[in-house]
Amino acid sequence: MVLTGKRSEKGPACWKRRVKSEYMRLRQLKRFRRADEVKSMFNTNRQKILDRTDILNQEWKTRRIQPVHIMTSCTADSGFSEFSKQVIPLKTLNAVASVPVMYSWSPLQQNFMVEDETVLHNIPYMGDEILDQDGTFIEELIKNYDGKVHGDREGVISLSQYSDNEEEDEEEEEQQDFKVEKMEVCDGKEHPEEPRKEVLKFPSDKIFEAISSMFPDKGSTEELKEKYKELTEQQLPGALPPECTPNIDGPNARSVQREQSLHSFHTLFCRRCFKYDCFLHPFHATPNTYKRKNLENLVDSKPCGIECYIEYPAGEVAEQAKTPSKRTVGRRRGRLPNSSSSRPGTPSVSSETKDTDSDREGSRAALVKCSVLVFCAEGNSRCQTPVKMKLIGEAEAVEWSGAEASLFRVLIGTYYDNFCAIARLIGTKTCRQVYEFRVKESSIIARAPAEDEDTPPRKKKRKHRLWATHCRKIQLKKDGSSNHVYNYQPCDHPRQPCDASCPCVTAQNFCEKFCQCSSECQNRFPGCRCKAQCNTKQCPCYLAVRECDPDLCLTCGAGDNWDSKNVSCKNCSIQRGAKKHLLLAPSDVAGWGIFIKEPVQKNEFISEYCGEIISQDEADRRGKVYDKYMCSFLFNLNNDFVVDATRKGNKIRFANHSVNPNCYAKVMMVNGDHRIGIFAKRAIQTGEELFFDYRYSQADALKYVGIERELEIA
Amino acid sequence: VSLWRNGGSCSSSPSNGAVYPASSAVMNSVKKPKMEQIQADHELFLQAFESEILNTLLLFGMKLIFSLPLLPIYLHRTLTFMSHRNGRSNARRKTFKVDDMLQTVERMKGEQDSLSLSSHLQLTFTGFFHKDEKPSQNSENEQSSVSLEVLLVKVCHKKRKDVSCPIKQVPTGKKQVPLNPDSNQTKLGSYPSLLVSSNEFEPSNSHMVKSYSLLFRVSRTGRRAANGLVNGEANENIDVIDTPSRKKRSSSHREEGETTETFVAQMTVFDKNRRLQLLDGEYEVSMQGMEDSPVSKKRATWETILDGKRLPPFETFSQGPTLQFMLRWTGDASGKSTAPVAKPLATRNSDSSSPMETRTSNHRAALMAVKESVSTDIKTRKEQVLCEPRQKLRIFYQFLYNNNTRQQTEARDDLHCPWCTLNCSKLYSLLKHLKLSHSRFIFNYVPHPKGARIDVSINECYDGSYVGNPQDIHSQPGFAFSRNGPVKRTAVTHILVCRPKRTKPSLSEFLESEDGELEQQRTYVSGHNRLYFHSDSCMPLRPQEMEEDSEDERDPEWLREKTATQLDEFTDVNEGEKEVMKLWNLHVMKYGFIADNQMNQAIMLFAENTGAHIVRRNLCRNFLLHLVSMHDFNLVTTATIDRAMARLRQIKEELPDAEEEEQQQGQALVSAGACNGNSITSTGGKQGKRTKSALTD
Repeated sequence: MVLTGKRSEKGPACWKRRVKSEYMRLRQLKRFRRADEVKSMFNTNRQKILDRTDILNQEWKTRRIQPVHIMTSCTADSGFSEFSKQVIPLKTLNAVASVPVMYSWSPLQQNFMVEDETVLHNIPYMGDEILDQDGTFIEELIKNYDGKVHGDREGVISLSQYSDNEEEDEEEEEQQDFKVEKMEVCDGKEHPEEPRKEVLKFPSDKIFEAISSMFPDKGSTEELKEKYKELTEQQLPGALPPECTPNIDGPNARSVQREQSLHSFHTLFCRRCFKYDCFLHPFHATPNTYKRKNLENLVDSKPCGIECYIEYPAGEVAEQAKTPSKRTVGRRRGRLPNSSSSRPGTPSVSSETKDTDSDREGSRAALVKCSVLVFCAEGNSRCQTPVKMKLIGEAEAVEWSGAEASLFRVLIGTYYDNFCAIARLIGTKTCRQVYEFRVKESSIIARAPAEDEDTPPRKKKRKHRLWATHCRKIQLKKDGSSNHVYNYQPCDHPRQPCDASCPCVTAQNFCEKFCQCSSECQNRFPGCRCKAQCNTKQCPCYLAVRECDPDLCLTCGAGDNWDSKNVSCKNCSIQRGAKKHLLLAPSDVAGWGIFIKEPVQKNEFISEYCGEIISQDEADRRGKVYDKYMCSFLFNLNNDFVVDATRKGNKIRFANHSVNPNCYAKVMMVNGDHRIGIFAKRAIQTGEELFFDYRYSQADALKYVGIERELEIA
Repeated sequence: VSLWRNGGSCSSSPSNGAVYPASSAVMNSVKKPKMEQIQADHELFLQAFESEILNTLLLFGMKLIFSLPLLPIYLHRTLTFMSHRNGRSNARRKTFKVDDMLQTVERMKGEQDSLSLSSHLQLTFTGFFHKDEKPSQNSENEQSSVSLEVLLVKVCHKKRKDVSCPIKQVPTGKKQVPLNPDSNQTKLGSYPSLLVSSNEFEPSNSHMVKSYSLLFRVSRTGRRAANGLVNGEANENIDVIDTPSRKKRSSSHREEGETTETFVAQMTVFDKNRRLQLLDGEYEVSMQGMEDSPVSKKRATWETILDGKRLPPFETFSQGPTLQFMLRWTGDASGKSTAPVAKPLATRNSDSSSPMETRTSNHRAALMAVKESVSTDIKTRKEQVLCEPRQKLRIFYQFLYNNNTRQQTEARDDLHCPWCTLNCSKLYSLLKHLKLSHSRFIFNYVPHPKGARIDVSINECYDGSYVGNPQDIHSQPGFAFSRNGPVKRTAVTHILVCRPKRTKPSLSEFLESEDGELEQQRTYVSGHNRLYFHSDSCMPLRPQEMEEDSEDERDPEWLREKTATQLDEFTDVNEGEKEVMKLWNLHVMKYGFIADNQMNQAIMLFAENTGAHIVRRNLCRNFLLHLVSMHDFNLVTTATIDRAMARLRQIKEELPDAEEEEQQQGQALVSAGACNGNSITSTGGKQGKRTKSALTD
């Protein structure tokens, strides 16, 4: 304490100095760390390259290079007698033609959406001549990015005079480091003898004062204190941000609501790509409003075993249970009219439930039941005896862990009253326990899904007529073809039919299966009923420049034969990735070219033109650089987006431009996404180079305005 | 042009260019000044064509001798434009039954027997020519005939005790053959002829005969003769008889003497594979003095050719001694030929047929035709060949040279390729063959009232560069094109099966194109005649890598990594969720699911593939959450959830250390979340910059 007193005597000036030196030290540390990171990264890369070269060298060593009769030899004479004449046979190496320049790119088979770049990542270099000629180009480029250049520290354009001690973007982190360090410094000095554990003591106010005076723009002393608290708290091991649900498989699993358990899965899952946090769709719809089509969660009317809750002697528990269950079942639009009353397990129930279903669902329900029964048997044989013991003795005294409780809530929302199934899935509880728990939880129980109220169910008869009108409508749409094609975004306007206010309608897109509107929505594309190959305008999908939807077009075969390449429908090549084998070689025209391995027929699909999907604005910014390079891989996708194959793409990006091409590009709507297909304009022979005219796509319905860029590789 | 007739042999000598009517005048040595002019013109022609011809021949020679792997050996009958050469049809396959085979063979055997019993080999000798003689009419009082003895030599298989192959010589007859007869004077009937019964060619009793050959022995009482060699004199009628076994054997015989001279020559009738080597036709065989040692075969290699040393087969034929005769296989002594021309081909194809042999047989056929075409020459010494003309078509080869200002014409009555003597049978095939196989020249087809005219000019664009697939070069580093000698190369086998869509054959495609020669420059090798590169590394693609589409996988490594890091960035997603999500994403990327109706199947596959991992990493509940979430999105049925979970339980039970792990899990409950240790470290505050809530808001 004497020490502190002494120091405080020195006053804020001393502290300020210390803050400054500490800050400098941390900055340096950080810089070193970064340099080390870069170094190690470089070294690992280097190692990778070396390994690869080693492999290649090994390969070459195994090849025999034929000896040749050496005709001539080189001699080196020396003017000094002590050096002997050296003779070495002359070996001539054949000249090897150099390959064209290629800027590195990443392979991709599906488009990849990237955000706009707000800072210029690098200042492009394109030879001294160009820079000399056009000095203003770079300046203009930087202006496009509001003067922001990546890693602009010491500054091409010196942003601020404070760059010595302030970096806006890194301030946050630094401060964190800084303060932790600071704290350690202080504590270490003040209580050197104390064990490390006790170090977590709040630093004195003086430090904060000194910091705030040093960096006035970082807030007052109090603010800094708050921030410090915030930052240090997170340093506790294993701590998660408050909004994060603990791992349900982990030790800290808590009992949470269904929504919370499933929140990550629901929000991150892309219903269009079937992936979590997909690369293509920035916004994912949550499934809350998705309606359940299948009535598969029939109450298993047969007891799953001797100890099944159904067999439970009718008592107070059963009586209790009746009320809530009645409610839930009643909500299901009377599909199971008598299941609630006759639930305690008469065989007649099952047949009844079956009958109430539609034909299609009937079979499925039977299937479900069948499988459920199998599981019952399994469950029985495995865990029957121990459960029995428990049940009889301590029916009420079962303890539910957080994970189990959470899981129960998740499952009850899916399986409703099928306690046997829930118990089986939880695994650690019997159906009776589940049932009891369910009774306890009755207040918060999940509800059965509400049927869509917006549209009344339609009769089947109408369906066909509707389809015919749809075909007409497509025709109509085509005739009044607007020049603009907009990106599709699934619409979500609950309780509102898809009318003029619907985004799909206004963008002149069809509603897709991803839309939240009812499946009977008038704006939905119905798919085709073709039995042929869907490669003529007879097919409504083909006519609408869409690929057949495997979930809508059920007769053409777009949704069958997943394993084989022989699909009867010829209008689903892009989605299936049925690309042709392409080979890269120096072009006969310019730069690199792409060549086809096997012959293709006219109108056959060759490859999808893949790349990054960028906004039109971003494309304008990037295009400026590409135009300077005389090499552009930009391709207009629709009014909102452009495909840029510069950084990411597939081999077709090497196809050169020609006014008399052998391929054509066509932008198609493929399961809700616009994608660019490259098709054969005529029959193409083995080994031919592929060209397409970049300016005019053949898709009549999809006419594009905007910048037309030639894909000409200089 | 005599060069053309001997595809296999080689030298181009200006003195042999006597085919052209103009040059043939040289021999009469009448008009000297004109001759000089002609000579100059000829030189020009040779300048233009000689090297090309030589090179062409070299290529063919090389091919014959070494069968260079880089020069593809096409089976002509399988080329589409030569399809008529393919005698077989698959029609019989439909009715084919294995049981019939024996029957067929037996029947054939019987037929053969009866046929061969009655057939003969008929040899009609037209004359014996010896150059050191004056023309026969000048020396009528001199000896006008020589005596010829024909022996059938049977080389038998060596038996164990034999030191060398036992040889049987069967005398077949002696005849007097006119010496240097004038073909205009004598009629065919008056020529001496000889019959050899085909019984002789049947396997003999004691020894198994390996091969049969005819030995001609001409003996004549010699007289001193002036050295009749006239330099520059050439004989357009020379004929090369080369059975493969007896190539370039003969050498000129210039001995003078008063004693009886004996000349011998041997020709194989059936080789050791019992393949017929002598077909119907007219032959001229060069004879050899008994005392001469035959030219070593070794000298006939291509290396000597390369040195530019000439071999003397033509001089042999121009100077003699040669024996001319006609050969016929007849059913009876006077009957028609029973050995159809196509038959030997069939026999040859029966085993180990190589293009070389095919060529020889064609070559021979070509020779006869050549004779027909040039029979109008002044110095013709023989009468018309009896062969019925096979083609009415006359083809004029017009050689353009000296900047296309000069031309020489050569007419032919058949459809053999003059360069490689391949019988193309059809004009279209011939033109196609010329264009495709002889790219040193440019061929243009011009319709002609009598048949066709083919304009031949040098392809200036032909640089001898390799037009094949560069992959072959790449796959065989070293000195593939060294001219210093043959190099050994690794064998590469290409199976060339190509069935492209073809346009209907039309002669119009050979007409000279309007837009100049541009079209001519294009190589006709279609397909993969370039070296390809890997798109990621720009490394050359090796032939064995052609088949796999390596850089086009659905889930490239960087994308797999990207999806993982992207999920790791979330701060409000727990490690268990992250891990299941990553596994699922990789699964979807790997299989590329695109339809809702695939999801049930996809889930089951997921459980199958990653089940063990999920159990080991203790992620079962997260897996279940994932399934329920999928169900909430209406993508899977509860039945699938049930099935997938059942499968997971099953996998759990099957895992060998499942119980241990469960115990560990129990401990893990106490210790701080070690079960998902991996992901904990990766998710600790540092990386996380995104939140899922930000995504939806």
